[in-house]
Amino acid sequence: MITNKALPRRTFLRGMGTAVALPFLDAMTPAIAATRRASPPVRMAFVYVPNGIIMDGWNPDYEGTLAALPRILKPMEPLRQDITLLGNLTHNTGRALLDGAGDHGRCCASYLTGVQPRKTVIDIKSGVSFDQIVANQVGKQTRFPSLELGMEDARQAGDCDSGYSCAYTNNLAWKSETQPLPPVLDPRALFERLFGNGMALTPEARARQNLYRRSILDYVTDDTRKLESDLGPTDRRKLDEYLSSIREIERQIQKAETDNAQIDPHMEKPYGIPADFAEHFKLMTDMMTVAFQSDLTRVITFLVTHEGTSRTYREIDIPDGHHPLTHHRNQPDLIEKVTQINTYHLRQFAAWIAKMKSIREGDGSLLDNCMIVYGAGLSDGNRHLHEDLPTLIAGRGGNHFKPGRRIVYRRETPMCNLYLAMMDRMGVHVEHFGDSTGRLDVLDLA
Amino acid sequence: MQFPAIAKPPVGIVFDSAMDRIDDVIALAMLHGFEGKEQARIAAVSISRPDLEAARFCDALRIFYSSAITGPAAMFMHAPAVGLADGKPGGGVPMLDVAETNKSAIKSVIDTADPATLIRNSLMAYHDQNAAVVLSGPATNLAKLLDMYDAKELVKRKVRLLCMTEIGLDGDPAAARVVRAGWPGPIATVDRQVGESLPFPGASLDKDFAWATAHPMVDAYRVYRPMPYDAPSWAMAAVLYAVRPKEKYFQLSDGKVLLDPAQKENIIRAYIDLASAKPVPRKPRKPPDDKKDDKKAEKKDEKNAEKKDQKQ
Repeated sequence: MITNKALPRRTFLRGMGTAVALPFLDAMTPAIAATRRASPPVRMAFVYVPNGIIMDGWNPDYEGTLAALPRILKPMEPLRQDITLLGNLTHNTGRALLDGAGDHGRCCASYLTGVQPRKTVIDIKSGVSFDQIVANQVGKQTRFPSLELGMEDARQAGDCDSGYSCAYTNNLAWKSETQPLPPVLDPRALFERLFGNGMALTPEARARQNLYRRSILDYVTDDTRKLESDLGPTDRRKLDEYLSSIREIERQIQKAETDNAQIDPHMEKPYGIPADFAEHFKLMTDMMTVAFQSDLTRVITFLVTHEGTSRTYREIDIPDGHHPLTHHRNQPDLIEKVTQINTYHLRQFAAWIAKMKSIREGDGSLLDNCMIVYGAGLSDGNRHLHEDLPTLIAGRGGNHFKPGRRIVYRRETPMCNLYLAMMDRMGVHVEHFGDSTGRLDVLDLA
Repeated sequence: MQFPAIAKPPVGIVFDSAMDRIDDVIALAMLHGFEGKEQARIAAVSISRPDLEAARFCDALRIFYSSAITGPAAMFMHAPAVGLADGKPGGGVPMLDVAETNKSAIKSVIDTADPATLIRNSLMAYHDQNAAVVLSGPATNLAKLLDMYDAKELVKRKVRLLCMTEIGLDGDPAAARVVRAGWPGPIATVDRQVGESLPFPGASLDKDFAWATAHPMVDAYRVYRPMPYDAPSWAMAAVLYAVRPKEKYFQLSDGKVLLDPAQKENIIRAYIDLASAKPVPRKPRKPPDDKKDDKKAEKKDEKNAEKKDQKQ
């Protein structure tokens, strides 16, 4: 018998202090509607890296179908059919425009807002970022309108770049002209936000949970069993994989906490932040995967490290600060080090994208239903250039466009033109944003 | 306590032309001359014909005038985009096909910019009422500029004068009507007669440009028409008026820039002086100044390390 009954998309597995959202399951599509095939939602994310990129190692010397990729992009080679490279996009509002020094502050604050920020350390003002415009509309359908994540502890006040407030260099998303949304850095805090029931655990409850080393999955065992009995074999396997991935995240967080307690009790980091960059990146992106998979949110911004950061990369034998290195004055040894940092970032990103691709959703993969932009607010960090910004889109925006290409637009083409096109794909139609002059055609049906 | 006055930066000039007459080429050389004298800055150069050679020529001329810039200043030098109209390329203009053009970094249309976007972006970098637009060719690009979101407001704020040439407007009468009707600031139009009455002397090439072994403007001049000839100067008059409106080179009546016979010699001398000005080494541009922030970060790292040592 064919029925029109389906598992609600917003089903949660509940337990004490826990609410675990579910991934997109076949059982969520009514049998009658199966012929019409409900499509999974489109999600978008921005992954921002600071201090520009060595563009000689980023830009291929050709346009069109992607073939061999330059050195920094090499980690993306197995995924080149899933990425689109865009050339010559510009953020004019990141330039000085009479405001003098402070390119790091400006480029980060204008990256998603398309607005030149006010040069100040007190009464900050930028613009509403486009991810928040999307979140305001699309976010009504998810538990979290958007997630703002990061990996580097950074202050929100004071002067971080030649008279620009730290609020400019350390945030990507802006809820209003004057309200940035500081990123969550601590994997534990993010985990509890994603899978808690909205109430923070009391210190006692957390201590009890830690003492018995219980997984949140233990609290939802009853709900899980009940649900499994209603699912077909494919959905059961999907659910099992999904819950295993949550358990794996938990295990990594616990490991980070144990390691931190042993390795460096005095470090200036929240308790659950892994000391290792790659480990931290993986944890955060694993949770981003789960958040997308279970439709907890459709909008994520991820500030890998803050703009102008002088973070060192001892993991890859680079003890020098990232930012000072980028002012390399064409010295080959310094250029080489920045290239290695850029490549290291891409390696982490590629691993995440590969994971997103491995997760089945609807007729394709989770990645197919996403637009994940990897980029920076500066191209040449040595000269502080705001044009030809490194821009990579992973995914197909709901199988809507065909990746595997490099498209180079004319010089001075506003980055905001891409944002308008992305908003269209997210179902949010806006005529003008920032300094846009039209819509990029890259996301048009291929 | 008194502080030294900050000098007002020179006026920024947007130069929009079809780059199909020799006076366009000389006018652009004059603008580089003004830039060397720090009396004007070239805010943007845009072309109203879809001719890649024209863009390459403008870029080559910029490279020629930048040749005196060496050392750290050269390292931080950045090639600005040239605006080029969209469309199917028409017939070429032989004068633009000179050997120096090969030095241009422009290889295809993606190396150029949409003119309206370029002009909009560049105007944003100028103080209010400290920019002027010289329109030597058809008004096609400026009509598109006025059609952009918020552009009229920007133009009103930034641009003190639009100086057009009457002869250039003939190329796109509809766009000319749009610009005349919608330009939100003062307009002056160089009368046809001005260009013909103030010819640039061809004889000056051998005399005043002798210092240059290969000058793109000179090469273009020699190709434009069989030598010897004197060139009409519509675009040059517009540039001169836009940069030095107070010099009384011309008479102004009802928005028209007219010939003042008493100034003829002065004007021609100014044309020659500016167009034949040698490339000037500019003051080294300060590299991006973030050293302070790096030092702060280093200090913080040191402090943390000390703290850690103490605890251990």
